[in-house]
Amino acid sequence: MIQAFSPLVWLSLALLVPGAENALPNSSKAPTFERDIQPILTRHGCNAGPCHGKARGQNGFALSLFAYDHDFDHASIFGQARGRRANPESPDESLLLRKAAGSMAHGGGRKLPTDHADYQVLRAWVAAGGPRTPESAPKLSKITVNPERRLLEPKASQPLQVTAHWSDGSTTEVTSLALFSSSESVIAAVDPKGMVKAGPLPGEAAIMARYMDQFAVCPILIPQKSSAKQAKSGWQANNRIDSLVLNKLNELGLEPSGTASDAMFLRRAHLDIIGTLPTPIEVEAFLVDQSTNKRSKLVDTLLTRPEYADFWANKWTDLLRPNPYHVGIKAVMNYDAWIRDQFRQNRPYDQFVRDILTSKGSTFEDGSTVFYRNRREPEELTTMACQLFLGIRLDCAKCHHHPFEVYSQADFFSLAAYFSRIGRKGVGISAPISGGEETILVASSGSVNHPITGKLMQPAPLYGKAPEVAPDADLRESFATWVTSPENLNFSKVMANRVWAELMSRGIVEPVDDLRATNPPTNGPLLDHLAETFRQGGYDIKKLIRHICASHTYALESKPEENNRLDNRNFARHYRQRLRAEVLLDAVSDITGVPETFQGMPPGSRAIQAWTVRFESQFLDAFGRPDPNQDPPCERLGQTTVVQALHLMNSPNLERKISEEKGRAKALADAITTGKKQPDQVVRELYLRAYGRPPLPAETEKCLSQLDSLTKKGLKNREWVEDMMWALLNSPEFVFKD
Amino acid sequence: MASHKRAPFHGPSRRDSLQLGLTALLGGGLATALRATDAIEVNRPAVAKACILIWMDGGPTHYETFDPKPDAPAEYRGEFKTVATTTPGVFFSEHMKKLAAQFGKLSVIRSIRHDQGNHGAGNHYMMTGAPPRIPVGCGAFVSFHPSMGSVVSHELGAPPGVPPYFSMSGMARSGGPNFLGESHAPFVVDGDPNNPNFRVRDVQLPSGMVSLRHERRASFRRQIDTYRRDLDKAVADPAVALDQHYNQAADLMQSESAQAAFDLTREPLRVRELYGRNAFGQRALLARRLVEAGVPFITINDGGWDHHSKLFEALNKRLPAWDQTVAALITDLDQRGMLDSTLVIALGEFGRTPQVNKDGGRDHWSNAMSVLWAGGKTPGGQVIGSTDKKGFSAFERVLSPENFASTIYRKLGINPDKLLYSPNGRPNLIVSDPNPIRELMG
Repeated sequence: MIQAFSPLVWLSLALLVPGAENALPNSSKAPTFERDIQPILTRHGCNAGPCHGKARGQNGFALSLFAYDHDFDHASIFGQARGRRANPESPDESLLLRKAAGSMAHGGGRKLPTDHADYQVLRAWVAAGGPRTPESAPKLSKITVNPERRLLEPKASQPLQVTAHWSDGSTTEVTSLALFSSSESVIAAVDPKGMVKAGPLPGEAAIMARYMDQFAVCPILIPQKSSAKQAKSGWQANNRIDSLVLNKLNELGLEPSGTASDAMFLRRAHLDIIGTLPTPIEVEAFLVDQSTNKRSKLVDTLLTRPEYADFWANKWTDLLRPNPYHVGIKAVMNYDAWIRDQFRQNRPYDQFVRDILTSKGSTFEDGSTVFYRNRREPEELTTMACQLFLGIRLDCAKCHHHPFEVYSQADFFSLAAYFSRIGRKGVGISAPISGGEETILVASSGSVNHPITGKLMQPAPLYGKAPEVAPDADLRESFATWVTSPENLNFSKVMANRVWAELMSRGIVEPVDDLRATNPPTNGPLLDHLAETFRQGGYDIKKLIRHICASHTYALESKPEENNRLDNRNFARHYRQRLRAEVLLDAVSDITGVPETFQGMPPGSRAIQAWTVRFESQFLDAFGRPDPNQDPPCERLGQTTVVQALHLMNSPNLERKISEEKGRAKALADAITTGKKQPDQVVRELYLRAYGRPPLPAETEKCLSQLDSLTKKGLKNREWVEDMMWALLNSPEFVFKD
Repeated sequence: MASHKRAPFHGPSRRDSLQLGLTALLGGGLATALRATDAIEVNRPAVAKACILIWMDGGPTHYETFDPKPDAPAEYRGEFKTVATTTPGVFFSEHMKKLAAQFGKLSVIRSIRHDQGNHGAGNHYMMTGAPPRIPVGCGAFVSFHPSMGSVVSHELGAPPGVPPYFSMSGMARSGGPNFLGESHAPFVVDGDPNNPNFRVRDVQLPSGMVSLRHERRASFRRQIDTYRRDLDKAVADPAVALDQHYNQAADLMQSESAQAAFDLTREPLRVRELYGRNAFGQRALLARRLVEAGVPFITINDGGWDHHSKLFEALNKRLPAWDQTVAALITDLDQRGMLDSTLVIALGEFGRTPQVNKDGGRDHWSNAMSVLWAGGKTPGGQVIGSTDKKGFSAFERVLSPENFASTIYRKLGINPDKLLYSPNGRPNLIVSDPNPIRELMG
């Protein structure tokens, strides 16, 4: 079959624009599979997850997800359905073409009308017998987007142009075959043709273009119109964080909010650093303290409190601590104790990670070895370690090249090879209780093979350099050195971002452990600065916390200004956050004066000290502790729900705490009855406990008028205190942190 | 209650709320954009509005329930005789008398099989429609995928203030929400509803609290609440979201019809007797009342079906009452005109071994299991599939847990082929094989 015309020339005529090099290396040849056809199948969504790209295909026609397996796809088109799918003798009868054109019923609808350029390419290719792209053909080295970045007015438009760069130095315009998406389609949307349309609101968005296995990102910035160049009065740059935040705010024309009051700062710092409310004495003392450095003194003091270790360990147990029904109770307890101990010692973070990655010994004695008891296969260990410590998600790369990622399956299995020589001795997993002692050791042999090619993989890092490994060395040592190396910027970045997110309610990158070019930080220089500070501070987590808490940005009010109300990612104000399940339960226990008892823990234990999430607690479940049956790392969403509202309102356990004979409400009521305390003192105490601030005169007034309205003799004081306690615990000012 | 407009149950998540403000102003947004890519979604109208899942934890025997083998040698057949159903030639095991007598209202699948022969994994497979991703042990409680109840909560919601997914008592091992988050976790109701002092926790006032005082407290709260709200949607103030939930909760407390739904004592004694005066019976009755209140998914988590020993002794005691409760539930739903819109399904994680063991019990066996299915316009009187002559394995019309889960979703008007996105953006099909069991679809 002879081609009357070259479809690529035909195509390029329609697309050629000045500026794109007129260099189509294959222009005189028939279209070939890898180079010409796969981009079309990808562009039109044929091999996407919901369609033929899912593992079982769609209606018997399966393609590899986003074209990661060319052999499979070619065989699927030409080798199946008895030649009906692609028929070079009568191409127009091919199912591939008829379905795509909608001349036959197609679940995906009419994708390519017969007069579409891509249809013509497909047809020509089928007619030519479906040739593969020769090995010698130029390879795609990268794509670029023009413009590289753009400032737009609200509602303005900007077309994007995508250029493919080939290994022989040639370029092709591929805009019509590129796929576009926006990180914030409300701020700036992009249509399938690459036209960016700014919305009416200021903000920023990253527009991503992808073509074959490459992508490029074009940041779009839409500044606020009435650009406020001057920071609000009261703003002061305490450290570098503040100038970097302000730079970004200026760029967007946003103004920072005012400064938090002392009481707000105190409650915030307590909840952020030790996960515990300040006591009335602590509040009163802080408010009367006249020293100018009282805020930094407070942060220093809090960092030395024992609750610090439990609270921050509690965040890390979400990420590390496995399900006891998987690895056994003893191992989990042991791991939990080890994690807490690291935070108690303020262990430098790089050493903490290195210990986990290179751990050896008994799972009943060396807590960190439980990492290897829980995750047993090199693949599982690779994905977990990379997500936790480098902010790189490799779940996708395990099976296919992910369109938004740069890593291939070969990269994945080369990395996994570092975990190929882990030996285990002992009973292993036989949960829940009977799971025996297991010893993690370095095995003398073991290998990882590529799942498709079967090739033996040599250990290699994803990027950068890792120390060479001696034949009988522990491969994990090399891996750990690579992960924790100061040159491995992801290592310090992802932890700096986690700590920032814990203190600021939002990461500079979200999700906090997903760092990649296609998910850019909202403030790159700020993230770089925090990571550098963390590295230079010897990976000291407390130092990093101190640095962030010393910034003016940390001390901003949560109240939005007219000019920053739309901001929810550039830290123009503090973002409200619901208290975490354990913190809230401990706070309820503190305020009511009735501690909670936890199964499997000594009396007097606090929720932030719990070594497992497996014990019963309707309270913790309602407020979103991790699903006890789920594998770590577990992400908490921090949602508010109707079940939470109902639980605070009506839970029998909460009611018991409020009305308990040995509880605070009864004691305070008795103090009134016996004249030891005046009602307004009781109001003050409860406000200090629940809100960390004294009541305003009007608030005291309202509380006292409730007391006056009660008439029942005897029980009057008790009922009043209980009602007030209930009202405070059910109010948003208690549930949220400003 | 049932006529209430369904509200999306979940509040905005932290991540949602970042999107929420702008999205609310303009419509669309990332979530919508992502969903819009589900190009081939096929939505079919719902047949049923609710599902009552009777979970027989431990794995009930298929021989002594719905798949007796009277002609097999004694060591397989067991001790029980059979009872004829209303369909000629179809027999149940002898204790399923009442269900046999109303076989016209229900169907039995005898040929679901899978390869997960331990509790942790079997529970996960049947409760979520997805096999566990890694091998798990028998004692395991694992979650790799949202449970059916959580997906239904996510997709259908419930009337304002009503939790959409109940589990009584306790949560089934894999009954959790996984990546769907705490908004779609089961609302666990503990306690024995046969106990005269029983209250459904949190949706009713706690014991000892009278409504007058509760109202006084609510008014106290209103008066002292000076917390700033940023009503501007763009700010995405989570306190505003909490207010919505709080108001829904308050409405629920004040709604007489809702409060009545949770109150089993309003049920005539005759009906309570009919269901059986035991915890299981009264949970089934409460489940019916919850369906009336608009709850779309209720799991009755009924333990103790792991009969490794003394199976016949145990089942002689247990099955008649079980038969009575399930038959009463189906009859009652039918008489109230609710059966066509309510699915009733009974199963466990797997069937049990063909040969009675030396302790007079049967062990785990995932090669065959029987599932009872009624309601939601499911054609009655039919047996779907079969096991071989000795009950070793699903033999004809072999079906998978995926087919099973997809049937439930289809009946409830949820497309099992839909993608749900985890918070980190990873797409997950609700069920990997969206083909329902056609005989049940009607």
